[in-house]
Amino acid sequence: MNELIHILPVSLILISAVGLMFMSMYENKFSTKQYITVSSVVLIVALVFTFIPLGELYAVRPYNNIFNDVLIFDSFSNFFNILLILGTLLTLLIGENYFRSNKYFKGEFFSILLFALFGMMLLANANELVTAFIALEIASFAVYVMVGYDSQDSKRVEAIFKYLVLGSFIGAFYLLGVVLVYGATATTNLTEIATYISTHSNSELTLVYIGLTLILFTFLFKISAFPFQQWVLDVYRGAPMIITAYMASTFKIAIFSFFLRAVLQDIEPLIDFWDSIIYIIIILTLVFGTWLAITQKIVKRMLAASSIVHTGYLLLAFIALGQNIDAAYATVFYLIAYLLSALGSFGIISHIISETKVRVTYDDFKGLAKERPYLAAMMTIFLFSLAGIPSTIGFIGKFYVFTEAINAGYILLAVLAIVATFVSVYYYFKLIAMMYFYPTKEECLDNDFNDKRVSTYAIAFLAIITVVGGIGSAIVFFIPALNIDTLINMTQIAIQSLFIKS
Amino acid sequence: MSADILSFIIFLPAVVAFGLMITTKHVETVRNIAFLTTTVILALVLKLYIEFEPSAGMQFVTNVPWISSYGINYYIGVDGFSLTILMMIAILIPTAYLLLWEGRTKGYWINMLLVQAGVTGSLLALDVILFYFFWEVMLLPVFLMIGIYGFGDKVFTTIKVTVYTMLGSLLMFVAMLYLGVTYHAEFGTWSFQYDSLTQITSLSYNEKIWLFLAFLSAFAIKIPIFPLHTWIMETYKNAPTGAVFLLSSIMAKLGVYAIVRFLIPIFPEIYVEFSSWFVFIGLFGLIYFGIAALMQDDIKRMFAYSSASHLSFIAAGIFSLNVFGINGALYLIIAHAIATGALFLLVGIIHDETGYKTIKDLGGLAKQSPIFTTIFAIMLFANVGLPGTNGFVSELLIIFGIYEFNHTLGYISALTVIIGASYMLWMFQRAILQDREGEALKFRDLKIKEIVGLAPWVILVFLMGIYPDIFIDKFEPTVTHYLNDILQIGAAK
Repeated sequence: MNELIHILPVSLILISAVGLMFMSMYENKFSTKQYITVSSVVLIVALVFTFIPLGELYAVRPYNNIFNDVLIFDSFSNFFNILLILGTLLTLLIGENYFRSNKYFKGEFFSILLFALFGMMLLANANELVTAFIALEIASFAVYVMVGYDSQDSKRVEAIFKYLVLGSFIGAFYLLGVVLVYGATATTNLTEIATYISTHSNSELTLVYIGLTLILFTFLFKISAFPFQQWVLDVYRGAPMIITAYMASTFKIAIFSFFLRAVLQDIEPLIDFWDSIIYIIIILTLVFGTWLAITQKIVKRMLAASSIVHTGYLLLAFIALGQNIDAAYATVFYLIAYLLSALGSFGIISHIISETKVRVTYDDFKGLAKERPYLAAMMTIFLFSLAGIPSTIGFIGKFYVFTEAINAGYILLAVLAIVATFVSVYYYFKLIAMMYFYPTKEECLDNDFNDKRVSTYAIAFLAIITVVGGIGSAIVFFIPALNIDTLINMTQIAIQSLFIKS
Repeated sequence: MSADILSFIIFLPAVVAFGLMITTKHVETVRNIAFLTTTVILALVLKLYIEFEPSAGMQFVTNVPWISSYGINYYIGVDGFSLTILMMIAILIPTAYLLLWEGRTKGYWINMLLVQAGVTGSLLALDVILFYFFWEVMLLPVFLMIGIYGFGDKVFTTIKVTVYTMLGSLLMFVAMLYLGVTYHAEFGTWSFQYDSLTQITSLSYNEKIWLFLAFLSAFAIKIPIFPLHTWIMETYKNAPTGAVFLLSSIMAKLGVYAIVRFLIPIFPEIYVEFSSWFVFIGLFGLIYFGIAALMQDDIKRMFAYSSASHLSFIAAGIFSLNVFGINGALYLIIAHAIATGALFLLVGIIHDETGYKTIKDLGGLAKQSPIFTTIFAIMLFANVGLPGTNGFVSELLIIFGIYEFNHTLGYISALTVIIGASYMLWMFQRAILQDREGEALKFRDLKIKEIVGLAPWVILVFLMGIYPDIFIDKFEPTVTHYLNDILQIGAAK
């Protein structure tokens, strides 16, 4: 019975996804609003279940004889499940306006969204390479479909095509990697691979090294690090705005959940082998991402390009893992910070676009502050957070990453990352300048907007969290609940649960 | 209560600002409440000033964990140095409100409140990360003020200011993290409190120099010290009066303050070793900016250079390694804030009323507005250091300090005072006194509330000039503590 609790959220999502699929057969009977309500309720229920074991240290492998250890349920996966569900829920709520004003979002879309979430949660729970692959593909395929959701739009068709072909191609690398690892170790279970690695000398591990490096390529592709970043701009640009937000934040978290587990729990010694490769990749990711971000004129593309830079920061924390385990907390914390700010910024833009459809480039955002001061203020908060300005959670995230990088001895990389941050101030603040310092363009004027919507409240909620996460107890030190330390403690418990041998 | 008074002073403006932002749209209500807030703060600071015991240590300390996993604390306190500057800010800001009274929008006042919160916070923060937090927070409202309410090519100006200050800040940020990590490596625990960071012994000489320069770059840009000054030209010209006032009379002083608060205790030997360089750079800046000011036609730009010139003088005093120089520098921080602040606000009034910014367009103001002219003249004299004003006391002390540091430099610094006097008086003669040919300039005299606003400044100019001891006594122990305990140089007094 106890074991049921652990698998309940994942199975609930799966069942509801199937349920929604059946619901969508009766297209005319339900409105988009009803689909959104049903999916939100499901997500909230799942969230409640994941919150029950929050803050305790555990690791279980339920129904050992049925699942054969392919899935593991521990504080780590639980923590990531919370993030993933929360990310999906927020995406849904922020997108409310967007989904309702674009008629092509039919019922099955919400079923696909839940399937994507199911895949991602499975990925966070996967303890075995092939299961991880299946989970990854479930999530990826759902995302492919969502990227190309409006087949009338040629940009979207291009986006789905590019993403599908490249994604499947890189998936083949992963499989090849798994095969090589299996060939050497005769297992695909992470724990057993770890035992194999620790009991064999370096010269016997060549095949494992090659296999794991191929798997690393998949990881780098999915998080859009250099040299696999080419698809990002077009795919992000082509996808519906809210899906872009989903990919940039929630999907990235799911990818990290598995690879962090793999690296931390099992193949930690190998990170030294990757050290110099990742070192160069970080430099190129930062430089290239920054350059791309500066040169964009379309806001959505700028945010997409800047997400490459954020990947660079994440990798910076990732490489520091080899030297000290504390860097893992930094990675996780940064993921949370980025989830909030990216969802917020993409969300606002999708909210605005869904009504006016004319705000695309920087120029189109001129004078937004006069028209809709609250939206502009919230956008400013998210951009501050992305740029790492103090008093936002983005600052704390960067603080951790840079501290751990310096602590691990990567001072040059930290300085480079800070230079990238410095440049990022330029392209983020440019948008703020557009919103505040210019009069509105006439063709963008639209007085019929209605900001009293679910999406606005969801965005406002995110904005508040972004600020509270940055200031935390400094301003409200008499309210212990709103403490950054609590969040850090939870990330620490999550990471530590990886090291429980059960 | 007395322990929390500092937090209250810091956060009251911010809380009021956010409250006003979401509740009312009425400009006058916003302004009145904002003004009321600043007077409440003034009252609190006065209470603090009276309760403060003149001694070297920190008082009214609050130290609670903020992010305890990294040893970052919400650690604030006040000593003689910060108290003096806090007092100055508390007096200057409400009077500035009175002079900026008419025709401002809601955002203007809210931004002013936010700046005050940021400035006070960075003044009182004793944890470097907390300091960095407030340091950045105070920049953002100014960024918005210049961009929204500025003139001319305001967007370019905003971006230039932001880029400059952010560059400095981020270099400082790296240095802070590096210090924190070094502390962690040496002591096994995390701490970013400045008094813990002073205990670090494991830094090599080269590391110290790099870190020192990284910190200094942030502060020097803010002051600005030659050659990091190029942002001030456009900014002072294109920014609205309120922003110029805040930048020149308050934020620039925080740059100086931060040198004393963080650089001297953390890197005392580097500070002593390179002091002669910085005295030299300071004096060079004094002369360079002075000559540049002489050549300006735009009155705001002239004041910008004049302000930079005096700030260089302050920097020279700070690095002069003796009690005269440092006391004088601190005194000049106050004197300069009062004089320059008032002058910028008065020029702001000229600009708002007549639309003229160049010196040659003005003239004959003295006849139409005697009170304006009188106050303008008093501030001008304080600025050039006429005996009897606070400017005289501070310049004299700095010149003594530099003389003791190095005789030749002392003579030079004494002579350079004449540059300041010449551009100021020349400008006064042309812009205010001399009659302009042709049509008469329409200009009103000061209103009652503006006179009330400026009155405390005028009183302070003379009070500080005639009887400096009541002020110097409050911060003297702190200065001697710095020299004796931290720099281990016998105080000269």
